[in-house]
Amino acid sequence: MSDFFFGNFGTDLFREFDRLQHHMSALASGLPTSLRANQGQFPAINIGSTDDSIEIVVFAPGLDTSKLDVSIDKGLLTIAGERKRPEDANRDESRSYARERFVGSFRRVVELPSNANPDDVQATYRDGCLSIRIGKHESSKPRSITIQ
Amino acid sequence: MTNETEVVRREAAAPAQREAAARRAAIVPAVDIVEDRNGVTVWADLPGVPKEKLEVKVQDVYLSIEAEAVVPTPAGLSVTHAEVRAPRYARSFSISSDLDTSKIDASLQDGVLALRIPRREAALPRRIEVKAG
Repeated sequence: MSDFFFGNFGTDLFREFDRLQHHMSALASGLPTSLRANQGQFPAINIGSTDDSIEIVVFAPGLDTSKLDVSIDKGLLTIAGERKRPEDANRDESRSYARERFVGSFRRVVELPSNANPDDVQATYRDGCLSIRIGKHESSKPRSITIQ
Repeated sequence: MTNETEVVRREAAAPAQREAAARRAAIVPAVDIVEDRNGVTVWADLPGVPKEKLEVKVQDVYLSIEAEAVVPTPAGLSVTHAEVRAPRYARSFSISSDLDTSKIDASLQDGVLALRIPRREAALPRRIEVKAG
């Protein structure tokens, strides 16, 4: 607790309030009131599925992939990492007019359906988008049954 | 944010852009804007945007960023949860005349656009020597 109040007092505390506010407004409204990208949690996630796979797209620009942690445990997909402010932004003699981009560590958890196969996962990071493809178990794939 | 702000955020800046935005829904990307003695740097989050789908334009006093995200989707995909609905980004800013829009340097890496707009020579801060005697 003492770290929270004294360790990083200043911007970090206000950033935490910002995040809390984003989180609360997301819970309260249900639907976003505008298309502004920085509403809601970072990173934004889209989820879809095909007959063979579950496709997850994580909109996480400007990340160092070596610090990005993607794991599956007990049917939960966890995406965690940290994003730092560019070094130039911290120079002296500089004035900041907008600080909307997310900075800090993040963690998002997605519950996978029971037919997801944790042994068949591919993840690629391109242009700031992390695409995760998780295969489905053979037995759950749709198939037509021939009538004898 | 004071009256001295060099780059002022204007969502509905130029009328042409307002019309364009109305035609197709677009996301307003999150930006960081930092000014130092030599100019202004703008960072914008544009996840999923490749270089060829990004357009940075300067018209009169407006700087506009328009981009389209390209996310590979397999055939037969049905979306079950979408936090990003529009694959387009659009935002425009008005630019102070102190800045030299002919020397903008833009780079796009991992979905983050960095725009460096230098100050005009005449607008650079100078130190004036005071001679004694």
